[in-house]
Amino acid sequence: MAEDEKDKNPEIVGFCCSYCTFKASEMAGSLRMKYPEGIKVIEVPCSSRVDPAFIIKAIVEGADGVFVSGCHPGDCHFIKGNFYTRRKIAALKEMFDAFSMKDKLRLFWVSASEARRFIDKVTTFYNDIKEKNNEREKA
Amino acid sequence: MKGKKLKSGEIENALNQFLKDEQHLVLGFKKGEGGVGHQIFKGSLDHYSLVNPLFGANAALYLRRLFSKGLKVMLMLRPCEIRAYVELHKLTQVEREDIIAVSIDCFGTVSSKEKKDDVPAEADKLTGYFQDKDSMRWACSVCRERRGVVGDAGVRIDKSGNYWMVPYTEKGEDLVSGMEGEFEEVPAEMLIPESAKTDKFQIDMETFNKDFEKCIMCMNCRDMCPVCYCIDCVFNGDEYLPKGDALLNKVFRTGSTQMPRGKDLFHLIRMYHVSQTCVGCGACEEACPQGIPLTKYFKGVSERLQGVFSYMSGRSFDEPIPYVTFLEDELKDAMD
Amino acid sequence: MKTGIFICHCGHNIKHTVDVKKLSEYFKTFPNVTVSQDYVFVCSEPGQDMIKDAIEKEGLDRVIIASCTPSLHGPMFKDVLRKSNLNPFLLRRVSIREHCAWVGNDVEANTEKAKRLILAGLYSSAHHVPLEEKIVDVKKSALVVGGGVSGLSAAIFLSKMGMQVHLVEKKSELGGHVRTLKGVWPAGRDGKSIVEDMVRELEGRENVEIFTSTTITNFEGFFGNYEVTLNTPQGEKKLTVGGAVLAIGFSPFDPSIKPELHYGKDERIITTLEFENNSNTLQLPEKPRVAILHCVGSRDEQIGKVYCSRVCCVNALRVGNALKDNYKDSYVESFYMDVRAHPKGGEEFFEDTQEKGVLFTRANVGEIVPTPTGVIIRGEDTLFGETFEREFDLVVLSIGMSSPEDCKLIANTFKIALDKDNFFMEAHIKLRPFDTAVKGIFIAGTCSGPKDVEESINHGRASAVKLFGLLNLGYTYVDPFISYVDPKRCSGCRMCEHACFSNAIKYDEEKRVVHVEEAACMGCGLCNATCPSSAISLRGYIDPMIDDEISGFTEAI
Ligand SMILES: Cc1cc2nc3c(=O)[nH]c(=O)nc-3n(C[C@H](O)[C@H](O)[C@H](O)COP(=O)(O)OP(=O)(O)OC[C@H]3O[C@@H](n4cnc5c(N)ncnc54)[C@H](O)[C@@H]3O)c2cc1C
Ligand code: SF4
Ligand code: SF4
Ligand code: SF4
Ligand code: SF4
Ligand code: SF4
Ligand code: SF4
Repeated sequence: MAEDEKDKNPEIVGFCCSYCTFKASEMAGSLRMKYPEGIKVIEVPCSSRVDPAFIIKAIVEGADGVFVSGCHPGDCHFIKGNFYTRRKIAALKEMFDAFSMKDKLRLFWVSASEARRFIDKVTTFYNDIKEKNNEREKA
Repeated sequence: MKGKKLKSGEIENALNQFLKDEQHLVLGFKKGEGGVGHQIFKGSLDHYSLVNPLFGANAALYLRRLFSKGLKVMLMLRPCEIRAYVELHKLTQVEREDIIAVSIDCFGTVSSKEKKDDVPAEADKLTGYFQDKDSMRWACSVCRERRGVVGDAGVRIDKSGNYWMVPYTEKGEDLVSGMEGEFEEVPAEMLIPESAKTDKFQIDMETFNKDFEKCIMCMNCRDMCPVCYCIDCVFNGDEYLPKGDALLNKVFRTGSTQMPRGKDLFHLIRMYHVSQTCVGCGACEEACPQGIPLTKYFKGVSERLQGVFSYMSGRSFDEPIPYVTFLEDELKDAMD
Repeated sequence: MKTGIFICHCGHNIKHTVDVKKLSEYFKTFPNVTVSQDYVFVCSEPGQDMIKDAIEKEGLDRVIIASCTPSLHGPMFKDVLRKSNLNPFLLRRVSIREHCAWVGNDVEANTEKAKRLILAGLYSSAHHVPLEEKIVDVKKSALVVGGGVSGLSAAIFLSKMGMQVHLVEKKSELGGHVRTLKGVWPAGRDGKSIVEDMVRELEGRENVEIFTSTTITNFEGFFGNYEVTLNTPQGEKKLTVGGAVLAIGFSPFDPSIKPELHYGKDERIITTLEFENNSNTLQLPEKPRVAILHCVGSRDEQIGKVYCSRVCCVNALRVGNALKDNYKDSYVESFYMDVRAHPKGGEEFFEDTQEKGVLFTRANVGEIVPTPTGVIIRGEDTLFGETFEREFDLVVLSIGMSSPEDCKLIANTFKIALDKDNFFMEAHIKLRPFDTAVKGIFIAGTCSGPKDVEESINHGRASAVKLFGLLNLGYTYVDPFISYVDPKRCSGCRMCEHACFSNAIKYDEEKRVVHVEEAACMGCGLCNATCPSSAISLRGYIDPMIDDEISGFTEAI
């Protein structure tokens, strides 16, 4: 893909918990809701499986943004996994902030029934990144 | 806080007394031909030095996988070394049972690479020497904790040049009780003050890439980092830094590539790995053959990440490493 | 490595917005890809045969199926591999329907995206290893929670099929809400007799054990052998069951949430449920003036209940009918949004009611104000756009169904999900409407959303059929997705152990490494993400699999 074209269309990698957000993404699909094709998700058994190293790798290899999404706090299928996710991602966000790229990482809570919320979250993220990229290009 | 004001020579006396037991060792510093360096003393002290103005390595490195029981080891080290030991203890890399950890007020150090012959080894002269900030290692100039306030006990120096021995744990209490003198209130103000807060570390990827341009991926930085404790580091495998066939496979998939590759992955992931345990000692930078300003990044990032959980590496034996615990009601800003 | 890639058209579903031909051609050029084929319905019999043939003829050792989302058809595709003597974990599913074809319109962009998704699957599949599935015995016994019509109907079916049934009811009597209904529509039968008929079918059956006044205090374990703890009047009781049907019903909407209705403040304002129970003790004048409000607690944005409760319109009609039958000269006015007389025959019933003389006014009711002479209703006639104020002797609120009282408790105990209205969520609205995300746990009746009696009974039976199917096999495969430690690489730092909240990791003081207690591991992968050197890994989700999946997305093609 040509470099300038890539700038226009962000590539986003999302890690989705199989019990909630991934289910919401399935439902969004069944309901034929639309979202940009730059958004691609990876199913993980629990958001706590997401090693921050995966996120760093995705960014270093060229993803414009990464999101991690799991069940709302208290609703984790594994009871407490997402509390650990929250700690790790909060720390990683701080690190990204230190490198002036805080906007590249987001953490959402999306339950299995929230297909609409899934779409909203990922599309907003996508649009925000797209705007940032365009600004950067102009500058 | 109570401690004992020590008569001159009392520390050496006490250590020699301790070493009389065959099973006892002291890890501290020795004055030698080429300057001061780390030494494990057995039997008795020899050219002992309380302080060491040349950095070299972080001695906590030598404590990894030290589990023996029955041999007592007394650590007489700098605060950053004792702090790294505390973190290694939390990581089950060293047994605490037979170790007495004493941190000694630190005046700062000179990089061992600089080979300065004029560095004094005596505490009373070091303050003067380091008036000139430039002679100090950068890591030391921004050190978070130069006071001997960590571990089981600390050696503190007051403004009139008196030495104090202050216990922080039961083990420290036993140690200090056995020394000469009476317990008295420790002066509030000491020679080495609390460190000033440094600015929040802020950088961007362009600067990072420039700073690491000369990195040859020798991984000395990792090998000399006291808290990079893994027996088989993840970067030995192919997931992040492919080698051999895996490398060729990757190149076939992605196209021509500059070598060495994966610098950003290696440093950023390692940075995250040590983010809660890094003590900012700068041993990594000291070990780097290419003069990469590693401390700036590792200390800078870890300080910010520890701040998220109000954690400070090595401050206390009891605080759990933040990634293995949580509070149900916290980090409201973390989610988007 | 010999990989076979099978790309499904899903009839028109995928092919419509993804160039499947282009994809299958593209992947033919890959060195490790032996077969790359697109096919109209990979899940069909000939589709399955195609895969089987390819495995056998070409000696495939990896199979990638790019089709619908992996939670559909999983066991079936795994069976295809098993039958061809290939370990089922060498299968990789790639969702190009729910995650690609259906969420984008642009064929070119979708095809490009599908390419990436399959590529990620291809890279990742290289790290798949054969995993050993454990086969465990399934206990042929079922737990049914809730003794309303849906629970009763599930219990009847299961017991007739020879399963041991444990029916748990919180109240002292079986029957749920239907027991209290008089003249249940459409048959007009007394609710009590309906449930008593059902209860009689259960009683006296050897394989049925009924626990009334009983609650569930704990539920754990895995499909086939769940451990249940009950709190019965006789004390604590423990059971082992293969699976469960949850049928805890609904709770009637409580109109006091809406203070402007003055419900509970005046005895002349009652609900349909109270009307059912006390219709003969109501003290009404000879020519009573009665108002009936439709949609109370349904289709109401303000209180966050936008769903239609499906039974309230018919209930409102029944009240109108009953009044007209008992008081010929009554004045009965129904205030509605629009009448949704759902079940079969509902429309006719609506017409009958109108003919009987019940007035229907399309209105937004603003408030109900009790006064000494009568109850005043103020509102807006939405057909004529004018406000009105009328006085009545009785106001009947046709209440909707809210989620069951214990929804959160039961959802937590059984680790299942709730939808946005706090009803139990089905695994898939259309394709798996009786299943939950937890294997062997099914939902029945109104606890998954408003239903009438007939629908509830059918739903109960359907869930029972599904559970019977699972239990009757007598065995099940256990996913081997649990963690394991490479002792040579483990530094013994115990970080994983500290993090693991199910205490599945144990430290060996001698060897100074950890190991995983397989029975206790739930397979979350937290330990894997916590170990810096990944000396502990979660089977099925090991680092290289995920790392290469990322690469599939990010590497330039
Ligand atoms: C006013 C009104 C009138 C209606 N009229 C009609 C009609 O005319 N025709 C029609 O077809 N439908 C009608 N319905 C709908 C009908 O009531 C329902 O379809 C039916 O009751 C659903 O049955 P169920 O088994 O799903 O739930 P329920 O009847 O609610 O039964 C659930 C059972 O589970 C038990 N339970 C709850 N929690 C627990 C727990 N934690 N542990 C154990 N047990 C528990 C409850 O005690 C109860 O016995 C009406 C509804 C209302 C509100
Ligand atoms: S980093 Fe701090 S404690 Fe360590 S040598 Fe420098 S000043 Fe002393
Ligand atoms: S020691 Fe220096 S050159 Fe070697 S890997 Fe580290 S930063 Fe790079
Ligand atoms: S870089 Fe990470 S994996 Fe490697 S030794 Fe350090 S902490 Fe362990
Ligand atoms: S990363 Fe560098 S500064 Fe931090 S503890 Fe390791 S060696 Fe010291
Ligand atoms: S996968 Fe989860 S439950 Fe299993 S050992 Fe790891 S942390 Fe514990
Ligand atoms: S975190 Fe990793 S190295 Fe530490 S004990 Fe667990 S498996 Fe071993």
